[in-house]
Amino acid sequence: MTLLLDIATSAAILFIVATGLLTIFGVLKIINFAHGAWLTVGAYCAVAVGQAGLNPWLALPVAFIAGSVLGLLTERFIVRPLYSRPLDAILATWGLGIVIGQLITLGFGRDVQFTANLIPGTMDILGTSYSAYRIFALVAAVVLGLGFSLLMEGTRLGLSARAVIMNETLARGLGLDTAKIRTVTFMIGTGLAGLAGVLLTPLTSVDPTMGVAWLVGSFMLVMVAGQSFGALALACLLLGGAQVIVSTYISPILGGVTVAVLAAVILRISPKGFARA
Amino acid sequence: MKTASKFLATVAGTMIAGAALAQDGEPIKIGVPVGLSGANSVVAPSVVQAAELAVEEINAGGGVLGRPLELVVADDGSGAVGAQKAFDSLVFRDEVDVLISMETSAARNAGLPIVSRGKVPYIYTSFYEGKSCNPFLYVNAWVPEQQVPPIVDYLSSEGATKFFLIGSDYAFGRGMLEFAGAYIAETGGEVVGEEYLPMDGTDWTAIISQLKSSGADALITSTAGGAPNVTLTKQLRGAGVDLPYANLAVDEGTAASMGAEAEGILISASYVTGIDSEENTSFLAAMKDKFGEELRTPNDLSVPQYEAVYLYKEAVEAAGSTDARGVLDALGEVSFTGPRGTISMSDQHHAPLTMYLGQVQADGSVSVVEAFENVDPGEQCPNL
Repeated sequence: MTLLLDIATSAAILFIVATGLLTIFGVLKIINFAHGAWLTVGAYCAVAVGQAGLNPWLALPVAFIAGSVLGLLTERFIVRPLYSRPLDAILATWGLGIVIGQLITLGFGRDVQFTANLIPGTMDILGTSYSAYRIFALVAAVVLGLGFSLLMEGTRLGLSARAVIMNETLARGLGLDTAKIRTVTFMIGTGLAGLAGVLLTPLTSVDPTMGVAWLVGSFMLVMVAGQSFGALALACLLLGGAQVIVSTYISPILGGVTVAVLAAVILRISPKGFARA
Repeated sequence: MKTASKFLATVAGTMIAGAALAQDGEPIKIGVPVGLSGANSVVAPSVVQAAELAVEEINAGGGVLGRPLELVVADDGSGAVGAQKAFDSLVFRDEVDVLISMETSAARNAGLPIVSRGKVPYIYTSFYEGKSCNPFLYVNAWVPEQQVPPIVDYLSSEGATKFFLIGSDYAFGRGMLEFAGAYIAETGGEVVGEEYLPMDGTDWTAIISQLKSSGADALITSTAGGAPNVTLTKQLRGAGVDLPYANLAVDEGTAASMGAEAEGILISASYVTGIDSEENTSFLAAMKDKFGEELRTPNDLSVPQYEAVYLYKEAVEAAGSTDARGVLDALGEVSFTGPRGTISMSDQHHAPLTMYLGQVQADGSVSVVEAFENVDPGEQCPNL
């Protein structure tokens, strides 16, 4: 039972962390290597909210807004000229990530920050006592996933975004303002990354380099998942599950590299990953 | 005309005096390679502060052999690669007279070959896994033989028999737990699990689940200080682990800022702020006076750094110069009475120390459960 919960919640956390990256990759076809920095920004929003003495839950909207606004500026001034040069965009966003990390260091110092735990303690799941926060993370991941499918399938913005994904030239020909769609998508992606940063704070220490460890994992997952949220959920469940199983039965040290190794193997066998649809 | 020559004479006089002073007062350079970024970044600022106070006090008292001390701090990134750069630039570019620093074991091991090549005395001020032997290296902090027995003995006396060990996968983490495992077996206890995560690992889920299903009745952890320590403690508390929990790598300051999550953690240290001695009281007052709002809580890593600067001063004065050979001989003989008591690195380049077993309280302070006088470091470097 504990193993199943471990797998489900680990996958959920990976999913939460990777959605922001997938949103941007799916629509804009560029890898936002500043993703780790946005996670960090989100986590520091939680720190700032805590220092201001506000309710820790308030950090969620604050981080989403901070992430989106920074995303707006980044898209406008850094990413927009680079849409046709995805490799340069990787370089630019990686550099941006370093700059953001340094700015955070200047503002808050290099050391570890502490935040209030959103949900402390444990709860009983079918007789197993389990971390209440990890269960919450599972729920949050499902809500995020469902919310996003609804956004993509049920709204005008989602329709336009899908049009851009399928054929951008045609979409523009039909009178869609593709530049605006790109901006909004980028903002949502970075906002989600900020949100994920807050959700990570109860699980990890908050320091200026915290995002980097998560960036690599989410990058691998997004490469495997391609452009679909369903595929991302599947990838998180399979790869995250493999990580937990290897950690439990073989060695946590090998568990740490499981996601990367499996992702490489999957991409070797099936270059498009799980994105068949 | 008269005033002009008077002026010239004054200028010339000042220049001569200035030159004489510079010759007498050419600073003795102390290199401090320390992890200002990376895993040690939480504690490194307190170490630098302690060194700054020692240097300021010594310079105010006339320096060493009439020469002032000067600190050269370099960030080693808490790891091997950064340490190579930091040691290299301190030893060969800045040409420091001595290295005094608290570092990760990875950084120390990477720096030692450079120390040997540059033939510079090196006082290591961090507790570590032990048995690092080099003619140029002296250590004034504890090793497992001094730190682990108080913890295991205390847990056993509280009824614990099954121990679970969790660490970061590096020299200190493995070394400490290896020693703890052997000591537990020796004293009749049982190790029911021993697991490691890489230093940059963030997900302790699988290990915590194993801990919970192992039936252990006590937990001993030895992670890298800072981020991994905080991450593990958060996830342990999140998973509802409430076993007796001894942490071999948490310092008082980190414990204090972790707040409620750290409550009940057992620590074993050669320094806690609550030591009741004149030296400690005046040290704490001087730190507060110098740094005020900026003060980082002095701790088991920063106090040895403070004392090491004084031990170096004593050694240089005993040797009569900063010449490496003389200083190295003297370092094993001199002693200094500081906040932790009288320290002498007389035992195979290591120091006998008084160890304190403490428990973190809800308000983050550490209360001393028991003190163990002059614990011997054991056979560290029989060939030195």
